[in-house]
Amino acid sequence: MANFVQLVILGLLAGGVYVAVGVGFGLVWGVLNIVNLAHGALVIIGGYITWQLFTALHVDPFLTLPVDAVALFVLGYGLQRGVINRIIRAPLLFTFLLTFGLNLVLVNLLLLIFGSDFRSVTPDYAGRGLEFGSIVIPYVPLISLGAAILLSAGLAFLLNRTRIGLAINAIAADRDAAQLVGIDLRHAYAVTYGLGAACAGVAGGLIALIQAITPSAGEPYTLQAFVVVILGGLGRVSATVVGGLAFGLVEAFGQSIPGSGSVFANAIAFGLMVLVLVTRPQGLMGRLR
Amino acid sequence: MAVRKLALLAVAAVAAFACGTTSAGPTTGSTITLGAPLGLTGSLTKESQLTQQGYDLWSDWINARGGILVNNVKHPVVIKYYDDTSNANQSAVLMQKLITEDKANFLLGPYGSAATATDAVVAETNQIPMVEANGAAQSIFNQGYKYTFGVLSPANKYLQGVIDMAATLNPKPTTVAMLSADDNFSLEVANAINTYAPTKGFNVVLFKKYKNGATNLTAEVQAAKAANADIVLNSGHLQEAIAINKAAKEQKLNAKIFAYSVGPSTPDFITALGADANYVYDGSQWTPQVKYTPAFYLTESQYVAAYKAKYPTFGDPDYHVAESTAACLALQRAIENAGSLDAAKVRDALAALDVTVFFGQIKFDSRGINIYKPMVVEQIQNGVHHTVFPDSVADAKPMYPTPSWDQR
Repeated sequence: MANFVQLVILGLLAGGVYVAVGVGFGLVWGVLNIVNLAHGALVIIGGYITWQLFTALHVDPFLTLPVDAVALFVLGYGLQRGVINRIIRAPLLFTFLLTFGLNLVLVNLLLLIFGSDFRSVTPDYAGRGLEFGSIVIPYVPLISLGAAILLSAGLAFLLNRTRIGLAINAIAADRDAAQLVGIDLRHAYAVTYGLGAACAGVAGGLIALIQAITPSAGEPYTLQAFVVVILGGLGRVSATVVGGLAFGLVEAFGQSIPGSGSVFANAIAFGLMVLVLVTRPQGLMGRLR
Repeated sequence: MAVRKLALLAVAAVAAFACGTTSAGPTTGSTITLGAPLGLTGSLTKESQLTQQGYDLWSDWINARGGILVNNVKHPVVIKYYDDTSNANQSAVLMQKLITEDKANFLLGPYGSAATATDAVVAETNQIPMVEANGAAQSIFNQGYKYTFGVLSPANKYLQGVIDMAATLNPKPTTVAMLSADDNFSLEVANAINTYAPTKGFNVVLFKKYKNGATNLTAEVQAAKAANADIVLNSGHLQEAIAINKAAKEQKLNAKIFAYSVGPSTPDFITALGADANYVYDGSQWTPQVKYTPAFYLTESQYVAAYKAKYPTFGDPDYHVAESTAACLALQRAIENAGSLDAAKVRDALAALDVTVFFGQIKFDSRGINIYKPMVVEQIQNGVHHTVFPDSVADAKPMYPTPSWDQR
């Protein structure tokens, strides 16, 4: 029983990272209709910023998260304004190609700058945690989950309560009508992608704490973000939160199947995704449009 | 102007003199092209880079001596690299390109068992010898190939040393939890332990496979904790070793021995984990502390010095570098012994090779893998790698048992 409770806790905690990875990806996909294959690269850039600030300036890794967000927002805004906006109305395949290419460029730039060494952020309190009998709640994943929820709440607030957020929502609902009422599409697109990148940056900061990063370490996260967003449902931040936590839980229980169960943890997650697509195409929490 | 003319004259004289003297020694022959696809980008970038360093250290050395001596003719060496993006299939494509387009005389292995396995097929169909240093899975060598030679100890030896060492410790640990990635190489390492540990009086209480490249291993660590094993072994790669060690601390998995097949020997393991890397063991192909009597090339200490001079930011060379250099040495000696650049003759010379270099004895069994060189066990003690087993090459005693996470 204690083992079961522990697994639930670990699964939910691991879900924190998936939430953080998923919200940015879901935003860009939902509003811009871009399946952003460069998302993993943006995630890892955030990871490197956190690592650099931690090792060079000894800043607490959680305090570097706002820096990740701002830096990645600027980068994302620039990328969208300068590059992706040019093909925003082209067929889906073009955005696939472009973001795939961007991913290659970013990963190889990181390789040039940081080399291929494995980097990890290990603060003094890493590995410590709360203990209740045999149940352990480690601090780092706990704070990470908190940060991911906070990030999602912030994003939800921004999208639903601010002028630019409402503009983004309007574009997601009807691009042409939004333009008719005077919304600057290019700016709003760039802000959206920037916000997506900022979320990716925060996710990267969290990832640098739980694993060792290399320039190519972000690639699996693009795929996981995809599953998380589908699981939860497109178009709502809260849906992605549910999707991320569900993904963490499924992974934890998939891994704990005796014998070679963990080998199929991904297959189980994807199987669940297919199941959700068949039975609830809008996702666990999504709204049908 | 006059001074300039004089200088030119002097240079000409020296050049003439130099030519005059060298003509008495070996002449310079055609360049030998060696081909090697490496994962210069992608998930195996780090290990591939170490492999390349090992190859380059040797090519610098041999070219500084004019090249490989074949029948009194010195052949300079060029190693042609391609980036296989850490993809085994791509590696085989590039290997073929190296043979057909770049006319590579001989082949050096890629990084990793997966790519080595696909490249071995290419070497075999083209009948060009490949000497490799980074594919330890025996499945590569059980196909009856005649043109693939591995200088390193096979996968089944990787963690056996840790079991042998554990059998000598007091109080003797009794139970083993074995975690393993699901790729060929890792499974061979793990399966070997599954059969070997019981013969030494250990009880394997957990055997768990996970997806190769997994970054979240909390559930595996939780299973090892529930099994309450004295020895926690992992057969995987650097990334997974780091993830397991982090999760072990978070989840208070306290074992007497933590040993990981690949990872702890690299400097990255220590920089990524800091003090948490202490007490971790690994099975290593080679450490700078081993003592062999080399028949040619450098001694261990000279090798370390040469590495540090060429790569000053990297610290001591790890075993990936050393084994890669050893592959070049095996090829060099085989070409010299064959007295020819003919692929078939060099293959036969490789099959008959028996030479000791700084890396240890290089000799191939009938399958082409080096089962004659022992593995050693390393432990990280206060942030430094020490060789702790076998006693004959050890420079420190094992720090045993590993203290619990609360007491570090």
